[in-house]
Amino acid sequence: MNEEREVLNYDALVVGGGIAGGEAALNLANTGYKVLLVEKDRSLGGKMILLSKVFPTLDCSACITTPKVSEIARHKNITIFTESEVTAIVKKSENNFTAQITKKPRYVRVEDCTACQLCEKACPVSVRDEYQFGLIGRKAAFIPFSIANPKAAAIDIENCTLCGACEKVCPTHCIDFTMETKYYELHAKTVVLATGFNLFDPLLIPRYGYGQYKNVITSMQMEREIAPTRPFNTILRPGDGKVPDRIAYVLCTGSRDATVGNPICSQICCMYSIKQAQLLMGALPMADVTIYYINIRSFGKGFEEFYQQAKGMGVNFVKGKIGKIAEKENGDLILRYEDINEGVVREAEHDMVVLSVGVKSNPTVGKIFGRGELKLDPFNFVAQEDLLGSPSKTSIDGVFVAGTASAPMDIPDSILSAGSASSEAISYLIQHQEL
Amino acid sequence: MKERIGVYICHCGGNISDYVDVERVRQAVENDRGVVLAKTTVFACSDSNQNDMVDDIKKHNLDGVIVASCSPKLHLATFRSVTERGDLNKYTYVHTNIREQASWAHSDDKIGATEKAILLVKAAIAKSRYAEPLYPNQFEAEKTIAVIGAGISGMKAAVSLSDKNTSVILIEKENKVGGHTATWGPLAMSDEKGSDLSHRIYSDLLQRDNVTVLTGSEVISSKGSIGNFTLKVRKRAQQAGDPVETMEFNVGSVVVATGFDPYLPKAGEFGFSSYENVITLPDFKHLIDSFSGKYLEYRGKRINRIAYIYCVGSRQVDGENRYCSRYCCTSVIHAAIQAKKKFKEIYNFHFNRGIRTYGKQELLYAESLQQGDIYLQSFEDAPPQVYAENGKTKVKIKDVLTKEKELEIEADLVVLVTGMVPRADNSIGTMFKLPKGRDKFFNEVHMKLRPVETVIDGITIAGTCQGPKNIVESVNSALSAAAKSYSYISKGMLETEPIVAEVNTDLCAWCGKCAEACPFDAIGQKDVNGKQVAVINNSVCKGCGMCAPVCPPDAINLINYSSEEIMSMIEQLAGG
Repeated sequence: MNEEREVLNYDALVVGGGIAGGEAALNLANTGYKVLLVEKDRSLGGKMILLSKVFPTLDCSACITTPKVSEIARHKNITIFTESEVTAIVKKSENNFTAQITKKPRYVRVEDCTACQLCEKACPVSVRDEYQFGLIGRKAAFIPFSIANPKAAAIDIENCTLCGACEKVCPTHCIDFTMETKYYELHAKTVVLATGFNLFDPLLIPRYGYGQYKNVITSMQMEREIAPTRPFNTILRPGDGKVPDRIAYVLCTGSRDATVGNPICSQICCMYSIKQAQLLMGALPMADVTIYYINIRSFGKGFEEFYQQAKGMGVNFVKGKIGKIAEKENGDLILRYEDINEGVVREAEHDMVVLSVGVKSNPTVGKIFGRGELKLDPFNFVAQEDLLGSPSKTSIDGVFVAGTASAPMDIPDSILSAGSASSEAISYLIQHQEL
Repeated sequence: MKERIGVYICHCGGNISDYVDVERVRQAVENDRGVVLAKTTVFACSDSNQNDMVDDIKKHNLDGVIVASCSPKLHLATFRSVTERGDLNKYTYVHTNIREQASWAHSDDKIGATEKAILLVKAAIAKSRYAEPLYPNQFEAEKTIAVIGAGISGMKAAVSLSDKNTSVILIEKENKVGGHTATWGPLAMSDEKGSDLSHRIYSDLLQRDNVTVLTGSEVISSKGSIGNFTLKVRKRAQQAGDPVETMEFNVGSVVVATGFDPYLPKAGEFGFSSYENVITLPDFKHLIDSFSGKYLEYRGKRINRIAYIYCVGSRQVDGENRYCSRYCCTSVIHAAIQAKKKFKEIYNFHFNRGIRTYGKQELLYAESLQQGDIYLQSFEDAPPQVYAENGKTKVKIKDVLTKEKELEIEADLVVLVTGMVPRADNSIGTMFKLPKGRDKFFNEVHMKLRPVETVIDGITIAGTCQGPKNIVESVNSALSAAAKSYSYISKGMLETEPIVAEVNTDLCAWCGKCAEACPFDAIGQKDVNGKQVAVINNSVCKGCGMCAPVCPPDAINLINYSSEEIMSMIEQLAGG
């Protein structure tokens, strides 16, 4: 294996190209610093670019994310590596970090691809589409999603049968199976960690039947069903394609739950569930939407008003944690719960259940640094060493944390956290300028 | 006159195309005079489409570009920059909004929405024919930044700007820095004392020679605009007999960090000021921080049983404050834990409306449950009641958690968990004309993506003046605001929009109506060849157009919105 590393020099390394990493990169770049933005996925935009609308403004998420992403992509001071991972960072001295980066081959020359989708049509392989959270399929030669950036085909080499059909139809000959993994050594003066979060895996709560009952989906799947770039052009339950009319939300799926090792609150699920409920009331005016909750946490600017608005629209809020879900023969679901208001255990029937899955840390970030160097909190979020004084400082001077890498938070808080991290990074760069 | 116009009609995913027949719109305009290219696109704002547009401009030698999509608030800048990358003057770009104005407004009438969209695009084409190239005004920016308010947010913003080698004037109305935080003992999530946190940030500030701290001082006036504000500051006499000092500072940007007021309950609200043992959360925090002894005492009486009543002044059903104050659940639970740890025989009863210890703060709630605190809950329609019986203060609730059973607790002390309200003193907001939201806190430009900028260029907002926040969130907001303010002045030169009003001095006979109509104080009076006429300050003018229609002789023209352009648009909208 050829492990020769190309050497790169930048002022700042930003790890993660979601909304927090993007915002931090933009702030640094607008101040005149050269930034390398490293994203492990095939597109920028993280989770936000895949959302339907955002609370409490009900702005279309794609509409406010794509211009931001496109500004990042075009910025003369920002270089983007997608499908790339930072495997190691070593701090040599103040203002002097060395990072090892692995860039996986896309097997498509992005600069030549016109996203014409002929390869997609030609490819005989069908697999589940991860960008639609498994609701539909995609090909092994595919455009990740319609507003992806870069918008170019990619070859999913894990599932590719190397039949060569895509190569034959490609009008610009941009498919290249000889591409290899590239290795880089980066010298940077400061680092911003914006590695984001993972969604809670509902398979860890078997009593909710996710993966077993077809009409139990996650909130991210519902997010895709109601997005402008939705897969079905209507809302339907996956089991039989029926348009649902009794939809239930199960809040705190994997949050505030010590039995799955996550006793903390995920901070966003109440609000995104209320948002989805409002959108569903609009899309399916005859449907009943019920939200089962422990406490509704509508704490941010305009959130409480948004919650009251949902109640006014007729969303049904039931205080009670769902204990167990069972499936009927026709695919409908029976939810067993303690109705706190009535003080009794009840069962309710719904034809579709949405699990409001929570926020988990992305622990890979800890492995980038030498053993124990980057401190993590008990939940594997990046530890904030001076939480109240300088929330974006980590245990390593010159390494700052932005967005959900440090804790669950919503979009405005991620933007503020990214602003804070980039502000500290700019200060660090100015204070350590070589004289 | 533009003769090679390109028109792009956006689906906006389905946001537009679900209701507007975009292909029909395209066909309806493709043969209009001057149109050489008419296309539909799924997301006009996507990077790939932007690149296609740049290619089209060059390939078809376009001289005008129109995108029919969403509100210009969202994407005017995006497509101006596309036009610029196609080597056209960006001000020749014309935007038209067929989402908010057609598809969303008429989702019940697809045919009507489509017809309206066609007229809107035709009007844009008419405007595009007249669009002239314009050039932004450039000027030099002051390199100093003012921060108003020296609480935690203001001080952190000042430290951050100082770190960026920027001179800072930090102006505090009170005689002391540190705001509310400086008065607190141990804080939630770190247990550091508020006074210590404030002190360590202030000590850091004092080490810096590029920071001027003015306490006991108020900004009394502001003139100018982004890059060049002139602030007049009045410093109160420090001792009797001292003169009142008035100073003037030229600054490029201002960070507003004026904070919040704690909610003060009305007389009789949950027994406040009716019973002497009913106090507010700040009072309670000060009490447990300052009192030493085995047992907690208040006004000479021993305190064992404490009732906390949540959401006082927040989430009001009938009152003005509909919002949640965000910090109070965590703050009071932390205070209750502190009280129980510090004093013997403390029993805590939390009368809440649903606990909101979001994120990792949930661990404090768990800790309080483990130490035996009792939680009772009501909904908003049946709040708990505080009353006296046989010389005892009691709290009664229909408890949701026990099947709405009516429960009653005898309390030695009742703590009203009061939230945050906007500052009663709004002099800074009025001075800078900062807009406020429904909750009366200052409003940001965009709730999701631009939380520290305001519609007034050069003014940023930090901390709780924008809305309730805890300290972590306030500091993040302060550092973000500092970075944003710094970005305005860091390059030394600033550009402002060339779309401003212009005065035809031949027609103007100075009546002053335009100056009265101007919301930005951008119009003055001057002598031209012995005649008094109106003059526009280009760096202050926002191009809002308020002055043009009130001018009796029609002497004011708004660049980029000339009468010719507007009349030709109206003609199209009226059906050609």
